Amino acid sequence: MSIALFLSVFLIAACGLIYELIAGTLASYLLGDTVFQFSTIIGCYLFAMGIGSYLSRFLHRGLVARFVSIELMVGVVGGFSSSILFLAFAYTEAFRFILYAVVILVGTLVGLEIPLLMRILKERFQFRELVSHVLTFDYLGALGASLLFPILLVPKLGLVRSALVFGIFNVVVALWSTYLFREQIGRSHILRAGSVVVLALLGTGMVFADRISSAADNSLYADEVIFSRNTPYQRIVLTKWKDDLRLFLNSHLQFSSRDEYRYHEALVHPGLATLPGAHRVLVLGGGDGLAVREILKYPSVESVTLVDLDPEMTHLFSTHLVMSALNQHSLTNPRVHVINADALRWLDANTEQYDFIVADFPDPTSYALGKLFTTTFYRLAAKHLASGGLIVVQSTSPLFARQSYWCIVESVKQAGLRVYPYHVYVPSFGEWGYVIGSFAPYEPPRQLPSGLRFLSTTNVAELFIFPVDMQPVPAEPNRLNDQVLVRYYEQEWKDVAH
Amino acid sequence: MADFSRREFFGAPALIGLWSKTDRKITGSFVNDSFPLGHRLRDRSAFRAPAQQLRVPIVIVGGGMAGLNAAWHLDKRGFRDFVLLEMERQAGGNSRSGENEVSKFPWAAHYVPVPAKGESLARELFGELGLFRYGKWDERTLCFDPQERLFINGHWQEGIEPEDGATPRDRAQYRRFMDKINEFRATGQFTVPMERGARPSPLDRMSMSDWLAQQGFDSTPLRWYINYACRDDYGAMSKDTSAWVGVQYFASREPEEKGPLTWPEGNGWIAARLIDKLRRYLRTGEVVYRVVQSGNRVRVLTEATEYIADAVIWAAPTFLASYIIEGVPPADGFQYSPWLTANLTLDRIPGQKNAEPAWDNVIYDSPALGYVNATHMSLATHVDRTVWTFYWSLAEHTPGEARRLLLAQDWNYWKEAILNDLARAHPDIRQCVAHMDIMRIGHAMARPSPGFLFSEERARWLKPLGKIFFANSDLSGFSIFEEAQYRGVEAAKEAVHAVSRA
Repeated sequence: MSIALFLSVFLIAACGLIYELIAGTLASYLLGDTVFQFSTIIGCYLFAMGIGSYLSRFLHRGLVARFVSIELMVGVVGGFSSSILFLAFAYTEAFRFILYAVVILVGTLVGLEIPLLMRILKERFQFRELVSHVLTFDYLGALGASLLFPILLVPKLGLVRSALVFGIFNVVVALWSTYLFREQIGRSHILRAGSVVVLALLGTGMVFADRISSAADNSLYADEVIFSRNTPYQRIVLTKWKDDLRLFLNSHLQFSSRDEYRYHEALVHPGLATLPGAHRVLVLGGGDGLAVREILKYPSVESVTLVDLDPEMTHLFSTHLVMSALNQHSLTNPRVHVINADALRWLDANTEQYDFIVADFPDPTSYALGKLFTTTFYRLAAKHLASGGLIVVQSTSPLFARQSYWCIVESVKQAGLRVYPYHVYVPSFGEWGYVIGSFAPYEPPRQLPSGLRFLSTTNVAELFIFPVDMQPVPAEPNRLNDQVLVRYYEQEWKDVAH
Repeated sequence: MADFSRREFFGAPALIGLWSKTDRKITGSFVNDSFPLGHRLRDRSAFRAPAQQLRVPIVIVGGGMAGLNAAWHLDKRGFRDFVLLEMERQAGGNSRSGENEVSKFPWAAHYVPVPAKGESLARELFGELGLFRYGKWDERTLCFDPQERLFINGHWQEGIEPEDGATPRDRAQYRRFMDKINEFRATGQFTVPMERGARPSPLDRMSMSDWLAQQGFDSTPLRWYINYACRDDYGAMSKDTSAWVGVQYFASREPEEKGPLTWPEGNGWIAARLIDKLRRYLRTGEVVYRVVQSGNRVRVLTEATEYIADAVIWAAPTFLASYIIEGVPPADGFQYSPWLTANLTLDRIPGQKNAEPAWDNVIYDSPALGYVNATHMSLATHVDRTVWTFYWSLAEHTPGEARRLLLAQDWNYWKEAILNDLARAHPDIRQCVAHMDIMRIGHAMARPSPGFLFSEERARWLKPLGKIFFANSDLSGFSIFEEAQYRGVEAAKEAVHAVSRA
């Protein structure tokens, strides 16, 4: 009997600690800044337990029934805590609020458990013995949980399932209590029925756990988050794993520091290296400054104008120690002028001409972004080309989104430009496509700046050769009144994901 | 007492917090109210005698689309001796628009379907305005993607035809309906402008909903969709709309390009271009209160001037003629739907639940018509403020009842009604709207009731009264840009003919 009782203490203590660890892990996983997240969550949780302990004095009658109900509540809230938090992060703007609300709710309920249990047990044991046993098992449970969590639970079960499993333990304790204290309890069948319902709920959660994680997965990152900010325009997230830095905008990978040189060398040099007299360069998008870094390798370039929508993005890549080192401080170079503006509107409102234009926008995942891949956009951009100038466009993957890629090529063509499509393999992206648009015939460069890591005069011409599985397919041009690209793109990436 | 004070202590701050969140202060008022002037004309109230006399060959009364296009035609063929009189301070009629620090916005008409090959007048005007060149339509004027969306079953779908929740049976009826429409289109009787093809038809003697029932169309979403089309274009329910006109809505259009043509300020863009071209003929704020035929001349009286004309183009709504033109019987067969439009300035974009805002946004089962987003035609990829134009045709009432309701309720009533309607799709709408101006139009658009189109009464008004030529779009039975343009230009041709004979 007493072993069974103290095993309950062990279990509920373990459950309590697990929920706390899950909240802390999730917060630092999703928001970064581990020290801050763990400190504040442990603090709030302990404080909430204090509130629970204080509130326990207001419970007078039917202590066992109360205890069982509290176990069931902890089981539900704690069991679903990681599911709720994942989904809140993926689908709401109120993640922090929900995070601390869950922490305080679970903490308060857990804080009620031990004082209630001690009062229930006070008739059966001497006070000295009771305090000693309960606290011993309480701390043992905490130890068990804290060892189990990193070694077994996170790697084997994952956060969603771990929480659910411990929610089930809470319900088991509840059910067990209705049996252990059957003399002290009135309507045990109602509580048992409640337990069964909660158990079923948690069981269903286990069945759908994978779906919950994958529903939230778009917003999740495999590596440690070192920077995360919601700007009025997008969610910027930087992750780091060993020497690999990754930038995500709205959960879409923009680059990995391990292979971004392939992407950016291929974006800039095939075009710019053929323009020995290029003085003025325009970069649209590309607030990470990595394309600008490549452009600055040409001494002939007198000025680079970078137009990016998001001031926080260009600020981050101008000032952040690691990020500005990656772009070799390109954004603070005196030759570079940063303008924060909407690219299409900016092109419409200005008349300057450029020898080389780079359009480096995120993929057309929405009609809003799709505007930057329309015939209207390329027509406007072409008006800004100096005679003999070139434009290069990042054009998504010709392998995974083949029709989307050729749709972009067709759209550039419809703007009255000759098109020169090419592609490159970037390990973190896969096969990636670009297209050069030009009024005059174009030929790949015979000379390149020194110090490139990927491109050479021997392989640059090969980029323009498309293997059979990436060769042209029929595609309509993408127009403002009929954005076929957004629909092609959605369909093709959906097919890749399945 | 102790209990009360404790509740007060804990409850009051919470209530204040709730109150300040939900009841954000929204400024605004009724604007452009035209009924005081309209009622003075109707009641034949006293107007001052004109201060001067002016001899002018042609006077156009009414500066809406019909009057402006009559003037456009006269000017184009080199006839420069005319004036265009508009009673409001701003010409344009149903194509008036406004502008604030966020955007331009329409007050009523907000688009023109891409004119098909046969619509030569509209193509001529749009060509002149630079929208149609070398067989291509201006890509910044063709409505950007996504054009329309419908809020149904708790989320947004693309397009207004209800797809979400439609059963195979519904879809079969959609297809059969479109087959029927294609048959009608093939008859060549459903044209834009309507006069070119319209032949007396038994379809005009029944309502659209009766015709649907007769043809066995009972799909709820299909009937909703057709009823929506009638409410949107004619301000009437399908049960109050002539089946001929209901069919016309679907069968007259054969666009060669995905449209429609639209601008942030709606058809105000066209009005502004025409006003710009025709400024020297235009006299705004001139209320024509009497028109008298005397001998070979027509006297047109305003408080400023008595115009002695050889011909008059009556481009104002036809029902006004009997109040102003001497000896004209009431135009009782002409019915008009009242409208309410509101322009909402949003300083925050409501949450979209993973959907992107479209140009035209409709809520299924709403009594209103939805809203048009004024910044949709901006090249920007990101906007943080916008203007929505909300449309409500009050079609479930008779026109008389609806007009009384419009006048009886204050701004606050309509503001609340509009916010409540929008809140179905945008629960956070009250936190986003900063300002709302509301415009009430008593006689906004012609209402094509069964039997009107091929009635003797309409036929009578199509003929001139001496040297007075009628030009309002209501003569076509429904008020759309192309009908106004056609009627205006036709009346101008006849007027020139009459003047040159004189």
